[in-house]
Amino acid sequence: MSIADTLGSALGLGSLGPLEDFLLSLVGAAFVGTFVLLNTAVAGPWAKRKITAAFTDRVAVNRVGPFGLLIIIADAVRMLSKELIIPDGADRPAFDLAPLVLVASALLGFAVVPMGNGIQLADPEVGLAFLFAVASIASIALVMAGYASNNKYSMLGGLRAVAQNVAYEIPLVVTAMSVVLFTGTLQTSQIVGAQAETLITIAGVSIPSWYAFVNPFAFVLFIVANMAEVGRNPFDVPEAPTEIVAGYQTEYSSVYFVLMYLGEFIHIFLGGAILATVFLGGPAGPVLPGFVWFTIKIWAFFLFTQWARSALPRVRIDQLIEIGWKGLLELSFVNLLLTAIIVGVIV
Amino acid sequence: MSLEAPEPSTHTDVGVTETGLDYDVLESLLGELVIDRETHHNAEAFVVRPDRVADALSVLREEAGFDHCSCVTAQQYEDRYESIYHLKKYDDPTQEVGVVVPTSIHEPKSQSGSGVYRTADWHEREAYDLVGIEYDDHPDLRRILLPETWQGHPLSQNYDQERQQVVPLTEHANPLEEDHRGGTDTMFINIGPHHPATHGVLHLKTTLNGEQVADVESDIGYLHRCEEQICQQGTYRHQIMPYPDRWDYISAGLLNEWAYARAAEDLADIDVPEYAQIIRTMSAELCRIASHLLALGTFAIDVYGDFSAIFMYAFRDREVVQNILEDLTGQRMMFNYFRLGGVAWDLPEPREKFFEKTRDFLDELPTRLEEYHNLVSGNEVLQLRCVDTGILEPEVAKQYGCTGPVARGSGVDYDLRRDDPYGYYDRLDWDVVTEDGCDNYSRVLVRLREVEESAKIIDQCVNLLEEWPEDDRTIQSNVPRTLKPDPDTEIYRAVEGAKGELGIYIRSDGTDTPARFKIRSPCFSNLQALPEMAEGEYVPDLVAALGSLDIVLGEVDR
Amino acid sequence: MSSHNQDTTGAQTTQEARMGEGVDNRFNSKLREAFGSSPFILTKFDSFMNWVRGSSMFMLQFGIACCSIEMMHTYAVKHDLDRFGSGVPRASPRQADVIIVPGTIVSKFAPRMKRVYDQMPEPKFVVSMGSCTCSGGPFQEGYNVIKGAEEVIPCDIHVPGCPPRPEALIYGIVKLQERIANGETAPVTVKPYELEQFGDLEEDELVQHLADQIDEEDLVMRYNWAESP
Ligand code: SF4
Repeated sequence: MSIADTLGSALGLGSLGPLEDFLLSLVGAAFVGTFVLLNTAVAGPWAKRKITAAFTDRVAVNRVGPFGLLIIIADAVRMLSKELIIPDGADRPAFDLAPLVLVASALLGFAVVPMGNGIQLADPEVGLAFLFAVASIASIALVMAGYASNNKYSMLGGLRAVAQNVAYEIPLVVTAMSVVLFTGTLQTSQIVGAQAETLITIAGVSIPSWYAFVNPFAFVLFIVANMAEVGRNPFDVPEAPTEIVAGYQTEYSSVYFVLMYLGEFIHIFLGGAILATVFLGGPAGPVLPGFVWFTIKIWAFFLFTQWARSALPRVRIDQLIEIGWKGLLELSFVNLLLTAIIVGVIV
Repeated sequence: MSLEAPEPSTHTDVGVTETGLDYDVLESLLGELVIDRETHHNAEAFVVRPDRVADALSVLREEAGFDHCSCVTAQQYEDRYESIYHLKKYDDPTQEVGVVVPTSIHEPKSQSGSGVYRTADWHEREAYDLVGIEYDDHPDLRRILLPETWQGHPLSQNYDQERQQVVPLTEHANPLEEDHRGGTDTMFINIGPHHPATHGVLHLKTTLNGEQVADVESDIGYLHRCEEQICQQGTYRHQIMPYPDRWDYISAGLLNEWAYARAAEDLADIDVPEYAQIIRTMSAELCRIASHLLALGTFAIDVYGDFSAIFMYAFRDREVVQNILEDLTGQRMMFNYFRLGGVAWDLPEPREKFFEKTRDFLDELPTRLEEYHNLVSGNEVLQLRCVDTGILEPEVAKQYGCTGPVARGSGVDYDLRRDDPYGYYDRLDWDVVTEDGCDNYSRVLVRLREVEESAKIIDQCVNLLEEWPEDDRTIQSNVPRTLKPDPDTEIYRAVEGAKGELGIYIRSDGTDTPARFKIRSPCFSNLQALPEMAEGEYVPDLVAALGSLDIVLGEVDR
Repeated sequence: MSSHNQDTTGAQTTQEARMGEGVDNRFNSKLREAFGSSPFILTKFDSFMNWVRGSSMFMLQFGIACCSIEMMHTYAVKHDLDRFGSGVPRASPRQADVIIVPGTIVSKFAPRMKRVYDQMPEPKFVVSMGSCTCSGGPFQEGYNVIKGAEEVIPCDIHVPGCPPRPEALIYGIVKLQERIANGETAPVTVKPYELEQFGDLEEDELVQHLADQIDEEDLVMRYNWAESP
């Protein structure tokens, strides 16, 4: 069921003509986009500070509006209204495009994520593949940004980002494949659907067959690879402030910086969304509506990244690559193989 | 020069007697290299000819076992320039000797000692920069603290402070520009002077080969605040004491003040009452804790990313220490609490409350340390990062004159509090901490463990102070209102600061201000060893190594 | 930090560069011309912008000397500057609004500080922290010490003290926020040292002497110690 159908039935329209379908899809897309941006807007200037503060015994913003919430508006408007500096030697089109590509790549991913209550913009058969493909466009944006800034720190940051993404994309996909072995499809809605069954019932509480419970090993692998994919501690080498200032975003100011910043957060949420879809039953959950559960799950992942950020040292770039190629990759293949055997024997 | 083939030093105890060094034996060892002898307050000094410096130094190093070139002081007299090499032994720093090298006023040229002691390299550059003595055979005699284009040598006589100066700012080259240093494709990158990892305003000229550091050269002087000049203008009794707080400003103020106090008290023969010594010992150790906590916090920033939990926890605990120190001295950082001959005032009333507060802190400390150990030393990712990176071999450390936690992290068992006792340390029960890892991890661990030892010392001091009879609480001995030490007396004295051996050289000319005031800063020497630790490592390890050196630019540049 | 950025137009003072030709002309948009000088809607918008700028700031992660230790304490647990919406340190000057100058500025550092300041995007504010940045403080007599940050960059707020307590710094920053929120910031430079191209310097003995050491195109800062306050 596509979002146009959902909206159509909610509005009491019968079967949809192509024009109505198109219009309703547009409305749906606008809704999803707004939802994602809203989340990032809350996360970026406010929640991140509050969460970090909670981990470090502080209070953080509390003067501007209730709980400091108005800081969201203040931060956003202030950054947008700042002077936009384009460095002299910047490679123009690339420098300007990079932030856009970064944000767009992350936003596109949400198109195929089932968010519950029938909210899903599109449900292609290759949904999962699309998700990974789109998410990894981000690394192009980063390398563009790094190269175009004409700054050595940016350059190092961009190169690091690519090395990291290449090293972690493969384990990520391979681990996701092991889930596909269970479901036999790449379609996201069906992956979610397959997790609705009951795994076991303990004392009247039935545990759904989320793949996190079915294959916890793959789940952990996926989380690690995902952390690296979204570039958070301990894998935040591309922007490691104490080493290479701010990595690829060193030279960005004003609007472009806002986009960069947003893009990063959208990526974290996209990471959370993928995790939720593949391993945590998508929008499933008791009592509350599916959409709320979906939101809770992506925020849980966000919280997790922030926790890691305040408590874990970052690894070195060579170690990072090593962990990726020598550790995660092998483990993910082992996982794939075992899953294949188990699935082959049982099913 | 007798540089080649350093024989295994077999006769390292030439001239060592029960009652100290027998300088006559040393003199005969040096033979005709000695042209005269001087007596400094701390040790005898041999005068050698400017073209025989390296010979004299290497005899003393190879044959008499003086393996620690603590400091090089340069100064200008009316009729001559003079460099003094203060030599010590790592095994027993009470065995000291000076090597005095006079040069002519018209052509101040003298032979470099940097072939014998690596640490002399930077010290001589500083001497050249500030005083204007030129060193032959020096590998790289450039200005070190002042900009390359500076005119004149500010600590020489008749320097005109009013003259104009021009300071250049060279542009940063394009990152894609070809750069081939050392034969391979490299990239040159400036880390600093404004960079989050440099703990202030250090500038590292780094050549990268991929992500690896091919070459690193520290460019210092971005915080050269003329501390020596200002101390030379201040009167002994009151005007100098505020400045030591600002050398190593990481709340280690009292440790620095003690360095000045010790040197000046020995120079002018002032006694310090026992009660004041205990207060000094206690408060100095509090400073050490504060300083080591900051080192831990900033190291965490370097390795974890900004504003990690450890940084915040370290600062939370520092606040407690600073509160105690504020109760005692009236300031959070710039204490100005020591006086020549004692301390400024007694413990704050009510005393019980002060003791209680201090005890509370000490009682809390083990839990806190446990927390740090969980987050830092027990953290596997951190071990992955820090074990076996930034290696500093003990022999190299000695060559560079490294002291303090840096040396102790390389297994060099050297702590002036024990080896050259002052204050009340020799009557208390505590241990010197060493680690043999020689890597970043060991250096951090040493600091964490030293915090425990300091806590032990403070605890004993608090007990002593609590029991101290009320009618015997003298906080200052009698010191003349204007202090004028005898003319032409010289002294070099060091204490164990937070970062290592903090030494002061003072020459008095009979007036109430020093004629030469030279600060031997531990960070200056420690920082010099950075290339040894960082070359061939990755950029993040360079940053971590720098963090584990725990330098304070105020003290490096002075 | 890369430095191929904006103008480095020689003799213009920082204040002139900040103000542009004729005061305030950067606010003179088409809209404003159409509406007349200060219509209700635009004044409301102005005050909204002022509120925005005063409520939230990114600080530049910038440490110089002793004062920066107290500055770190201000960011950290007990004092927590972030309560006021201004405790986010950014490592890159491109993303910062406020630079706190915490420490003694010496001849070698001043050009670099100027450059960092230039790299920040407008509107930008400067808090000078400590006696050293007000006047040179305890080191005023040093041969190498710039007598206050205002010699180099324009300062909005001075927080005296050696070092100022964290409470004092917070007070200073809150005052700055208040001023911005009221729309009153007009820092004045007393006697700015400027970055100039070496080739543009007045030819005198010193310049001739240095001619073979410094490139014509290199930026330099020329200190005239005798005329320092
Ligand atoms: S004002 Fe005082 S504390 Fe601040 S930098 Fe200057 S000397 Fe240090």
